[in-house]
Amino acid sequence: MLSRSAAGLYWMGRYLERASHLSRLLRQQTESLADSPPRDIYFGWHRIYGALDREPLSGALELDSDDLFALVDSFALADDLTFEPTNPDSIRSCFAQGRENARQMRHHISAEMWTCLNQSHLRLQDMEMQDIWVRSPENFYAETAAEIDTFRGVTSSTLYRDDAWHFVQLGNYLERVQLSASLLMAQISAVHLFEIPADAYWTSLLRHYYAFEAYNRASSAAIDPDRVLGLLVTNPQLPDSLSLSVAELCTELAAIGAGPDTEATARTRSQAEYLRQLVGVEWPGGADGHALLGKIGDGCRQLHHLVTKTYFDYPVLAPDQGRAGRHDQ
Amino acid sequence: MNFDSYDLDPAVFDEMFGSDGTPHPHCEDLYDTLGSMSSADLSAIGEWVTRSFTNEGITFTVYGDDEETERIIPIDSVPRVMSATEWGDLTAGLKQRLSALNRFLEDIYGEARIIADGVIPADMVRDCPQYRLEMRGFRAPHGVWVAVCGTDLVRTNDGFRVLEDNLRVPSGVSYMLAIRKATKSAHRLLYRLSRVRDIENYGLILARTLRELAPEGRSDPAMALLTPGIYNSAFYEHMFLARQIGADLVEGRDLLVEDGYVYMRTTSGLRRVDVIYRRVDDDFLDPLVFRPDSLLGVPGLLHAARLGNVSLVNAPGTGVADDKSVYAFVPDMIRYYLGEEPLIQNVETYLCRRPEDLEYTLDNLERLVVKRVGESGGYGMLIGPHSTAEERNEFAALLRADPADYISQPTLALSRAPCLIEGRLEPRHVDLRPFILTGAETRIVPGAFCRIALRRGSLVVNSSQGGGGKDFWVLDD
Repeated sequence: MLSRSAAGLYWMGRYLERASHLSRLLRQQTESLADSPPRDIYFGWHRIYGALDREPLSGALELDSDDLFALVDSFALADDLTFEPTNPDSIRSCFAQGRENARQMRHHISAEMWTCLNQSHLRLQDMEMQDIWVRSPENFYAETAAEIDTFRGVTSSTLYRDDAWHFVQLGNYLERVQLSASLLMAQISAVHLFEIPADAYWTSLLRHYYAFEAYNRASSAAIDPDRVLGLLVTNPQLPDSLSLSVAELCTELAAIGAGPDTEATARTRSQAEYLRQLVGVEWPGGADGHALLGKIGDGCRQLHHLVTKTYFDYPVLAPDQGRAGRHDQ
Repeated sequence: MNFDSYDLDPAVFDEMFGSDGTPHPHCEDLYDTLGSMSSADLSAIGEWVTRSFTNEGITFTVYGDDEETERIIPIDSVPRVMSATEWGDLTAGLKQRLSALNRFLEDIYGEARIIADGVIPADMVRDCPQYRLEMRGFRAPHGVWVAVCGTDLVRTNDGFRVLEDNLRVPSGVSYMLAIRKATKSAHRLLYRLSRVRDIENYGLILARTLRELAPEGRSDPAMALLTPGIYNSAFYEHMFLARQIGADLVEGRDLLVEDGYVYMRTTSGLRRVDVIYRRVDDDFLDPLVFRPDSLLGVPGLLHAARLGNVSLVNAPGTGVADDKSVYAFVPDMIRYYLGEEPLIQNVETYLCRRPEDLEYTLDNLERLVVKRVGESGGYGMLIGPHSTAEERNEFAALLRADPADYISQPTLALSRAPCLIEGRLEPRHVDLRPFILTGAETRIVPGAFCRIALRRGSLVVNSSQGGGGKDFWVLDD
């Protein structure tokens, strides 16, 4: 597959995963606006901004105990993360970039995939925060996440299982692992900052990962932070766990086959295996847990670098260095 | 729906009605169907067709428009129809014309017999900016310089005429196919009853044509479509065609030339490319030969083509044959190379480089269409009957300053076809761009991109200037 095409599909997968992740976080957050105390609302914003490693447009987040201020602030913060044109990680920006990558690679994806994505893009294109705020912001975020889920379903049903598929999936899973590691670190930091342990902080995290029922089944309903984190990181049966996502990532990487340079390919796969080992151990808890998540995040960034250098932007050998990686077809 | 407000003009050929106001025999089914539909039904079909284009992102890009670079071409849902007999006559003329044009290109970049024999003046060819000295001695595969041609035809009361030959990177075929898909679905019963000839195999025929032009010994050639990129106005078409022919859609940065062979960078290493359907203009194709500042091309590409290691479709240098001045000599080319009379006529053309033609043009600006030879897309032209005195004065100055850069033609009464305009059927001027493919043989799918001048009375059909498109049906007899 053409390297630039593979890169475009990989980035499409990454951007749409990013849009999905943020939509789900904002859904949780806006749901909490109806009845949560301001402190919980600010906890939520801290967690989201911490996970994204982003400063709010207005500067640092400051706790205001007034309900009205909490809502006004929430409007501005949600707008920043949803429609703000200067924010490359806003939902609309991620959608636009995912769609733009798809547009450039339309000949590699199915017509059904394109139409599905394009319709979502058209829906988002002219919306403003006010439009969704006066109705039901949580419904908007739920619909947006559902549209991405639909796109994934259409992709699964219609995309030929060649390298196009594998690179889309690779981008999707790598982004998921990286975002999850970052979110879990932000959760630990925010809980520490807000001092008072509250079950609500952890149940909303479980819900984000569609893991609330699974946790209850396994843990008799008592919320224990380390058990929550252990489930989300190491459980191989939970769809969005780091463990399962890294396993999928390794599978996709193996399916892509050898790149032009076998040593580079081996290094890339080895890095993925390293990630698998990190998420395969028993959850250590405490400071060690935070450090482990940091290693996973760093490992993802390194893996992205290796994928880029192995498949997309590899050095072309000069004629006197032999004809490795060259083939006639 | 009726045609009560449809005004016929005896000076203009109507694609639906004869001069007596009755529909042409091959248009009767369409006439009856439209008559049985309400205005609301027809409008709903029109909206559905437009919505399907929006949802599928069938767009073109407008240069210099920052607010909205992706646009949907306006589609009229009423098809234009033609009988098989008429189509047969047209295709014979189109094949004849392309055959002569390919012989002309082979000749002028080779022995230049047509110049030596005085059929066409040497300066007409060699002063043409599209004449590429670098292509002299080049051997196009099977003598096919132009494998993909989009010829613009117009019809008047005197029959069809060729308005121009597009021999470089003709576009519009994706619209032909997309409009067909949408219109066929919208008018499915009429489509079935009318026995419309199929055009869906265009991609297969194009792929076959490209394969036939592959370098010798490459029985299963690797094909690529070279695009300038996402910002090109025809990017949708490039993507669409790459998909249709199973080629990789590449940009210049994806390719490199090594040891006289062209390779593309893939996830499993460099892979040889045998045939490049290039949609990049000559100027930008190879910075070592043409514009050195081009970032869109591939250094060494022409060298590889000269060695016969890669086939470029269309070959560089073909623009000299669709130059607006050289156009005037195409009928002579047909006589010279084929010993035949042209089956489709040219539009009468005045070459302003000739003093007598310049004088005639200046004296008749209000009646003529003046075109700059190097322009396309409806730019750089004056339509005399629709111009102001100020515009005519401006063009007169331009003509005097550089007469060789202009030609003029009589303003043609382009034929009109019924279009749905604000819920009513009204006549609008149309042209026709069929696509002719030449590999081991010449093939034409029975269809064309039919362009419409949507503004009442306008003759400008270009999509970049407010034109639209409609489906074109060739009916079985």
